[in-house]
Parts: sequence; C-alpha cells; structure tokens
Amino acid sequence: MSPHENRPREDGLPQDPQDMTLMIHALVDGELDAAAALAVERRIAADPELAAEHARLVALRDAVASLPRPTVSDAFLARIAAIAEVKGAGEGDVTQPAAMTAEPQQSSQQQQGNVIAMRPRGVRWFNSFDWRQMAASIALTAVLASGATQWLTTADNGAESFAVAVANGHRRSLLAATPVDIVSSDRHTVKPWLDGRIGVSPAAPDMAKDGYALLGGRVEVIGDRPMPALVYRHHEHLITLVAAPRQNDVKSVPVADDLSAGGFLLVHWTDDAFSYWAISDAERPALDDFVARFRAAVIANPAAGSPG
Amino acid sequence: MAGAPQGATVLNEKMLAARFAEVVLPHLGDALSLARWLTGNTADAEDVVQEACLKAHAGIAGFAGGNPRAWLLTIVRNASYTWIAKNRPRSVVAVGDLADLDDVAPPPDSDTDSPEAALIAKANSAAVEAAIARLPQPFRETLVLRDINGLSYREIAAMLGVPQGTVMSRLARARGLLMTELGGRHHEPA
Repeated sequence: MSPHENRPREDGLPQDPQDMTLMIHALVDGELDAAAALAVERRIAADPELAAEHARLVALRDAVASLPRPTVSDAFLARIAAIAEVKGAGEGDVTQPAAMTAEPQQSSQQQQGNVIAMRPRGVRWFNSFDWRQMAASIALTAVLASGATQWLTTADNGAESFAVAVANGHRRSLLAATPVDIVSSDRHTVKPWLDGRIGVSPAAPDMAKDGYALLGGRVEVIGDRPMPALVYRHHEHLITLVAAPRQNDVKSVPVADDLSAGGFLLVHWTDDAFSYWAISDAERPALDDFVARFRAAVIANPAAGSPG
Repeated sequence: MAGAPQGATVLNEKMLAARFAEVVLPHLGDALSLARWLTGNTADAEDVVQEACLKAHAGIAGFAGGNPRAWLLTIVRNASYTWIAKNRPRSVVAVGDLADLDDVAPPPDSDTDSPEAALIAKANSAAVEAAIARLPQPFRETLVLRDINGLSYREIAAMLGVPQGTVMSRLARARGLLMTELGGRHHEPA
C-alpha cells in the first residue's frame, strides 16, 4: 500500500481509497477547483498506484473521446430545421438542404442583433457542432474588433489604469470559486487552452521546483481586449501573471518596474512579444523573485510562447 | 419544457424559430450520440431526436438559459426512454434500487506502471464501442453524458435526478468496467 498510509494527511483529501479514486476521476473530468486539483496531483505524484489509475483514466477518456460521432446529414438537419420553419412565416425552401445553411441564420441575425453581432457572418453553424470552434471564433472576433480601440496605449495614464484593471481582475479571482478557468500544472494543457480561446498564449513554465507552482490559466478582459493570464501559487499566496500581447507603440520596459494598485503589489515588464503584469498579495521580495525566475525560464525556453 | 403556450404570446414565432436555430441545431450531433447509445442504433436515433426536437420546439419558450446542450439532451433522454418503452418494451431496464450497483469497484491491485493504460490507448474504436454497449444501462448513460456529451457532474445529476455522489460512483464504476475489459485486467491473477 501507499507509504503515506500511517501519516496524518493535511491536504484535506479523503482517506478512503475508494473516495480517493473518485477524486482522481474528478480531476480527469476537470471538476476540481484549483486547490483540490493541486492536492490530488501531489498525491498522484507521490503514489505509483494512484498514478497508474490516473494514466488508465486518461487513456480511457481519450479512447472514448476519439470514437467516431454520428454525422448530422444535410437531410436530417433540414428535417429538424423545418420543424421551426413550418410554423414560422412560411418561407419556402425548407426542403432544400443547401438553402438551410444560409437562410435561417440571416433571419436570426435580424432578430437577435446583439448576440449575432459577436459572431462572424460566415460561422458554419450547420457543419460544425464543435463548441470549441464556436468559442474560438467568437473570441477571435472580439480580438479583431478591439484592434481599432487601442485602449491600452492611447493615454499617458494607460499603464496606471491598466494596473488598476489587473488588480481588479486579481481581486475578483480571489473571490471567485476558482481563480482559474483551466486547471493544470502542465503547460502543454494551459497553452493550447489559451490558444484555443483567444489565439494567444505566453510561455507557461511550471516553476514548482522554485516554489511557484503553476495552477492554471484564465482569460482576463482588460479594456475590451481578452488577454491570457497565468496563475501561480507561492505558499498561500496566488500570483496572477497577465501577458498582454505587445503592440508597436507600447513603451518598452526591459527592467522590471515595481508598482502597486488596489492594495496589491505589481511588477511590470516587457519582452519582445508580451507586456507582462505580475500581481500578488505576496511580499515584494517574493514577487520580485518570482519575476526573476519566470523571466529566466522564458529566456531558457523562448520557443514556448506564441504571440498572436 | 411544456410551458410553451403562455410564453409564445411574448415571443413571436420568428423569434422562436431563431431561438430554436440557436439552442437546438448546434447540438444535434450530441443529441444523436446520446440517442444512439440509449436506443442502440443510428437509424432509431434519428427518429428519437426528431421526436425530441418537436418537443423542444414546443417548449423553446420555456428554455430559461443555462446550458442549451444539457437542456436538449434532457429532452432527448426522455424521448429515448419513451421510444424504447413503446418499441422494445422488454429491453427496458428497471431503474429501481441501484444501491448494489453504486458501490465503487475496488481499485485494481496492479503493481505495474501503465501497461494497462497502453492497452487501453491502443484499443480500437470497435472494441471501445462494444465495451460501452455492454455496460449496464445506468452506467452507460452516465458515461455517455459525461465522456461523449461532455456534461458536468452537476448537469448530469440534475438530468438524472440523483445526487452528484451517485453520478461520480456510477461514472467510476462504468469506467472501471471499461478499463477491465479494454486493459485486459481480467487476465491477471487476482
């Protein structure tokens, strides 16, 4: 059995092996908050039996996920779409599958301006039933739309209000049930998630060895621009790192700049691709240490980032 | 779900049609998947989903936000069981006292790292599908809702009318059975 069997556990996880198995299922299913996920990941790392169970579950999940899905044929789609149309204004063409892909969408655009405006005209509702593509295209549109506003850089006090926005986002994350949208200590999970959502992802090194464990990532919306944010844990403090893709006219800040906003300490710096804002309620030395280690890790592995 | 008549006076028909296109049509693939796993074949699944979509259209005004996929799948699930009861009454599994089924399978006493994981990963689609098809109905349903339809524990619990803990244990049990079958664990000495 596990070598930890007789030691009192302080991570709040169940003692019972069956319940612990359920926790691993919940981890694989993304049902745990960041703190619980971290605790379970630690248990898995320390216990080969749990690690084997975890590996089996991941393999099974992938095997089931890769099963072929039933296809929605054009004829079937037309049949279903006709359910709504027959009782509607009686616009013809409902039996023509080709027409179905365009017409209902246009009428719905007129009806629901606000919602539809977020969506590019050409989104292929009917052929793509993968919500991830939908989410990505919505987010991408938001990025494109915000290109005109240049919220970040217009005013002299841009940096200051940006810092306040970062602080507000960090404060909200501390109040929320979980500070991250995607829980993982694995950058191979966090980066694709961010890429899929907003098309941008910074390097996301896990620095658990240095005392800064990567908890996951989330999307921050600052001004009207979605931006990737990474969340690290240092002892009982959380550090949010917002990585704003750099625009040409953003002032270069090669040397980390110490700021504060909203009662939190911030460090701001830039590299070639991103403008970084690290914020935490940790002490200044800890935050500075985090920034130094993060920058070193990024320089050591520069290929890991992908500015949009 | 069936509260259309009053709501329909508020939303005119065109708006309902637009809402139907937004709420129902994007999730037809998921609806077909669920119906297929519950009824056992693809052709029946289309009939069931069409029936469910008629109900969904009638009740679209009552859709109160939330996850549209979970909403549609709840209707599809009900339609599936109605269809099964009508067309194949003998195959309906009595979902009575599942207490004995809800025990979690004991963790395997494997002392090796991950040969089973490798075996599972290599299993071909036909083997995986056959193994899912052989699961007892409550387990199969829970597994499909989670791993194929991608619903959360909370959404599944609400749909099935059971506590989340029951969802978790059924899921663990379903996966345990699949792993046993696909991972070749039954060849190992106990």
